[in-house]
Amino acid sequence: MWESKVDDKPLTFHLSGINNQNFIMRDEETGSWWQQVTGEAIQGPMKGRRLNAVFCDELTFATWKREHPEGRVLKPDEKVAAKYEAENWEEEYANFPVVTPTDAADQLKPRTLIVGVELNGASKAYPLESLQQQQLILDELGGVPLFVLIGEDRKSVRAFERRLDGRTLEFFVVTEGEKQQPPSGGNRQLIDAETGSIWDFSGRCQHGQLAGKQLKPIPVLKDYWFDWKIYHPKTAIYLLGERLKQ
Amino acid sequence: METFSPVSPQQKFNRKLAWLILLVIIAISLAVVMIPAMLIMPFKPQTPRAVELSYWLKSWSPIVTVLALIASLALAIWLWIGKRSWWRRSVLVLSMIPVLAATWFARQNHFEWMFNPLGQTAFAKISEAGFVGDKGMVMAVTINGESVAYPVRQMGYHHVVHDTVGGVPIVATY
Repeated sequence: MWESKVDDKPLTFHLSGINNQNFIMRDEETGSWWQQVTGEAIQGPMKGRRLNAVFCDELTFATWKREHPEGRVLKPDEKVAAKYEAENWEEEYANFPVVTPTDAADQLKPRTLIVGVELNGASKAYPLESLQQQQLILDELGGVPLFVLIGEDRKSVRAFERRLDGRTLEFFVVTEGEKQQPPSGGNRQLIDAETGSIWDFSGRCQHGQLAGKQLKPIPVLKDYWFDWKIYHPKTAIYLLGERLKQ
Repeated sequence: METFSPVSPQQKFNRKLAWLILLVIIAISLAVVMIPAMLIMPFKPQTPRAVELSYWLKSWSPIVTVLALIASLALAIWLWIGKRSWWRRSVLVLSMIPVLAATWFARQNHFEWMFNPLGQTAFAKISEAGFVGDKGMVMAVTINGESVAYPVRQMGYHHVVHDTVGGVPIVATY
């Protein structure tokens, strides 16, 4: 998701090619080619320029509409709606071939779905499966303490800085049956260990000493491992989840 | 009845040369449109060099194909006048087809044949959004208090959607 203006000049983009399974878009105004995943112009007069990223969440519709009841939703184009992918497209795509060179010694399979985080020049890939098992991963990346959290829908993923007013917080989740606090809706709670306050999926504190505080969101990208690795060759991988599986 | 007209070796050579040039022009006009289409094909790996060459060829192909068309038409007319045999004339007419096709293709975006761009962006309120299920994924943005969801099913087809959210012009890509 990008701002479409560069130097105050609005650009109009078209899908116009593919580069190692990530698409290229061309802008009408300068004819430059832009790589979709990085927002960087790779050819043409704009070469080397980057579009400004717009913070974007990938959520289930249920989670989004609960948070934004006043929002608007892009309508399908009735003329081509028959060509849209089926609801289970993710399972189908998992079997698509990977054509870029892969490393046999790699710790993840090319089509493993990961949640990628890039912070202060450091990057790390969290396998979606690990998140589904653990729900919450506390970590530190690029000198920033953070957590990655999967929604109760088991599909939406968000990351937040777990630093608030100069203090680093530890978080844990309590699921139905174990909880002692009054529920804030849903059957899982995110709690910080320092104050016992209860936080929601949007990073806002709902109950307790820190009520009303908002954690700083960190952009995440749900991606295939092979694609993430092309654009983040030095990426670390979160492997604790992988080890827990064995 | 054809009357006998002597053809000098020089004229013969000129004709042969014209045919050869025509052939080369056809090959060039096909190459400038086909090479980039083949280099940046889905499910193939691309090198930065191949992307650069494709960009270069695609930038030049609209003008190159038109010049090729003009040159080949001129050659064909000249050869047409010089040669009376019907089969040679047929070959001349047929030779125009690939050049015309290349000129047309240089002005097409074949990726948008596969994935039609969204002509008119229209939006629904949540209460009217029966087209996306609760478990369906959306790309969500909030800018200056305005929130918009772009269902991944639509985005995975159109790939590029322009919008203005909270006064900021954006391009949603997937």
